[in-house]
Amino acid sequence: MTQQGGSTGSDIPTRTASEPENHDLREVLLWWAGLSIIAIAVWVVVSSLLLPKAATADDVFANVTVVVFTALAIPVALFVWVFVGYSLVRHRARVTATAGRPPTEAAPAIVATSGQTIAWLAITGGLCLFLVVWGLFGIYRGAQVPTKHPMIVDATGQQWLWTFRYPHPAPNAQPVTSQELVLPVNHPVQFDVTSLDVLHGFEIRAFGITLDANPGSIIPTEVVTPRKIGDFTVRCVELCGLYHSYMWAPVKVVSESSYIAWLHAASHGSAQGGSST
Amino acid sequence: MTTTMTPTQRSQSAAPSRRARLVPSIVSGLVLGLVGGLLVALIVAQFAHGSRGINQIVVAGYLGWAVFFFIGIGALNYPMRWAFGRTQPTHNEELELAGRGQGPWRYFRFCTDHKVVGIQYLITVFVLFIVGGAAAFLIRLEQSTPGAKFVTPGTYNTIVGVHGLLMIAATIIMITGPFGNFILPIAIGAKDMAFPRLNALSYWLLFAAVPVFLSVFALGGFPTGWTGYAPLADQANAGMDAYAFTIILFGLSVGVSAMNIVVTVITLRAPGMRWNRLPVYVWGWALSVLLGAIAFPSFMLAELLVLSDRVFGTAFFISALGGSQWLYEQLFWFMGHPEVYVIALPSMAVVAEVVSVFSRKPIFSYKAVVGGFVGVAAIAMIVWAHHLFWSGANTPLDGPFMLSTELISIPTGLIFLAIVGTFWRGRIWRSVPLLFALGFVFNFIIGGVTGLYLADVPTDGVFHGGMFVVAHFHFTLVGGMVFGFFAAVYYWFPKLFGRRLNDRLGRAHFWLFEIGFLGTFLPLFYAGEHGEARWQANIPVQFATPNLVSSLFACLLVAAVSIFAYNVISAWRSGPKADTDEWGAKSLEWTVPTPVPLENFERTPVVTGSSYDYGNGVGAQPGRSGSAYPREATAGGATLPSPEP
Repeated sequence: MTQQGGSTGSDIPTRTASEPENHDLREVLLWWAGLSIIAIAVWVVVSSLLLPKAATADDVFANVTVVVFTALAIPVALFVWVFVGYSLVRHRARVTATAGRPPTEAAPAIVATSGQTIAWLAITGGLCLFLVVWGLFGIYRGAQVPTKHPMIVDATGQQWLWTFRYPHPAPNAQPVTSQELVLPVNHPVQFDVTSLDVLHGFEIRAFGITLDANPGSIIPTEVVTPRKIGDFTVRCVELCGLYHSYMWAPVKVVSESSYIAWLHAASHGSAQGGSST
Repeated sequence: MTTTMTPTQRSQSAAPSRRARLVPSIVSGLVLGLVGGLLVALIVAQFAHGSRGINQIVVAGYLGWAVFFFIGIGALNYPMRWAFGRTQPTHNEELELAGRGQGPWRYFRFCTDHKVVGIQYLITVFVLFIVGGAAAFLIRLEQSTPGAKFVTPGTYNTIVGVHGLLMIAATIIMITGPFGNFILPIAIGAKDMAFPRLNALSYWLLFAAVPVFLSVFALGGFPTGWTGYAPLADQANAGMDAYAFTIILFGLSVGVSAMNIVVTVITLRAPGMRWNRLPVYVWGWALSVLLGAIAFPSFMLAELLVLSDRVFGTAFFISALGGSQWLYEQLFWFMGHPEVYVIALPSMAVVAEVVSVFSRKPIFSYKAVVGGFVGVAAIAMIVWAHHLFWSGANTPLDGPFMLSTELISIPTGLIFLAIVGTFWRGRIWRSVPLLFALGFVFNFIIGGVTGLYLADVPTDGVFHGGMFVVAHFHFTLVGGMVFGFFAAVYYWFPKLFGRRLNDRLGRAHFWLFEIGFLGTFLPLFYAGEHGEARWQANIPVQFATPNLVSSLFACLLVAAVSIFAYNVISAWRSGPKADTDEWGAKSLEWTVPTPVPLENFERTPVVTGSSYDYGNGVGAQPGRSGSAYPREATAGGATLPSPEP
């Protein structure tokens, strides 16, 4: 593109070599298409084994996002790898560099046409737009309020433990505090997250939620509905000092009846412990 | 007073002295700095009291160290002479300051020769990498098995922070420091940098920061990791002061160096070196340091405020007293995300250059590469808050920051288009620098793609603060940027040291590093995908297997780096002599003799074409007759005066 006046354009053999170039191009595009299809097929099968089991719709959406984004990324990555790999195999310097001496031949110049650049920009721009729209849809999804009124649980971090507080477990009942998070299945829940000292991070992978616990502010998470009975974990995901790596709490999603039984027992224990205000 | 002093000084320095002068030098700098720092600390200790007393003493000590170190090393001599006597140094004095006739001792002095500064940077980067790498190995050792087995959680947190900050600092300067100083002025046809004394100052500011940072170990470490989040930073012990003061010194160094490089590129290009004839790496490096100069002050400000909280008892970041932790997060990430592009641009630029040189083809689209760099640098300024999606602040801006973050993949894609197109139908010479460029292309794609999950709000909600993030940014920073650094070292080593690195050792280094790297960080994607959190001294049993695999592969990285170190040291001591134009490349630095003489060029070169026109003069030696640049020894006189009208 920056050809100088001294060298005329006539000795640039770019376009004269179009026949082998077209052959190469056909071959490399075939490789690219074939490998992309195979890789996407493999990924769709393998991803179900690699991804963890989700317990909420939010987490299912996160997992689906991973699958879709990866499937989209595979052809993009393979485009680069296959073109470069093909060039490496087919277009080696004919005079092998010996004893560290540079090979003497140069390759004919190939310079991007504006059409190629615009096409590339359009494709990457289109992919990019898709990701943004997908993400905006994700934000919109997360902001949806379910019809059923969510249960509110306070999640309070401090160095280095989590305390969960069920403010109004039942009409006229005492608030319940607990070091483990027990939740009824199929019941929407929202966490009011805060911290007593430094930043902590409240994260439940299987629920697809995370939120920093900020000192001085109480901030609600998205509303999630656990759909699976089972054991999960709250992890602290902001470095919070000495025992950060010990700051986790068990999450138990149980049946409605077990939950009520637990709450009943806990409210008695809580009242005896005097931890209620 | 100064007028009487000046002639004496001038007569002293005008005579070239071959003996190693201890004053001023690193020796007088260290002695005066240590003594001064201790004295200031002792004086302040008389007045300091209360819980902040230790912080006041420590910070005063660092201030004393910095000021007296620079007095001791002679950084202020010429500025003072100018300020009080308004006497310009003579050309002889300038050459003296640039280390003429001082032999290897000039590397230990406040030396203004850009080539000396470049080598000083390179050695420092190696040292930072070795220490930071040792910390990385301790991290992998600790995470190889559940439970806090090898180090205590407190030590572990300090090691994580030391590893993080050393590696970030090292990667920020790893290319623009050594090569931006050594190669860049030659590549644009300049005799030195625009501000040689500021150039020396930028290096010695970096040097002064290293002992401050290493003193964290004496002060009980710091718990925050390299991000230094407040209010944990307010709560931490005196090691945090070392961290904050390090950032301030380092930020000054980065800023001074950046302005110098930018001004050099703008003002000191040789006749005919138009903007579209600059080698692409000059573009990449200049834009990188410009971006750094804009971004870094906010980090320095954040650390000044942290120090203010800690030393004077203000509460910028303590919410109970009216401060805000979000203020810290915003200031930090306003630097923190541009910073990864500060690291990325130089490596991308090196890779684009190396691919062109070893494909023996002009860059597929020079405009796309430069446009890509400009686009990345511009968008990099407006992506930072994607780190705050889940911080509890900023919610209405989640969408816009997601958009800007994903937009940056478009200019990045342009750069990749140019790299792929340059490979296409080239005459590819699979040299060691090219291998590392290939490693960059392979790894950085994975790093870039995994970044999309973190840029997108729904998936960031499960990956934030986890090992997936760790794996992602190591794929960009190590798999991408450090591979670019190695490509640069293998490519320019013959010009820097006049010696050849061993080819087979280079290949062994590459393959061990690539396999070790993939084996170390691919399992962490899996662990992070399943919810393993970051910064874990005590990893949960559930994640034992991927972590063990990762730790075992990390041993290959140690082996690879050892081979590299051996290769560099043995080549430096007794490697075969390199040619002037070792690779048959066409940019200007390959036309000057090796070792490069003081002031680089006998006559200012005149540039008549792009440095990528390999396609012309096929069949000739590409580096010789096809060269766009007149060679000093042969053609220099013939092309003067300038053919430009």
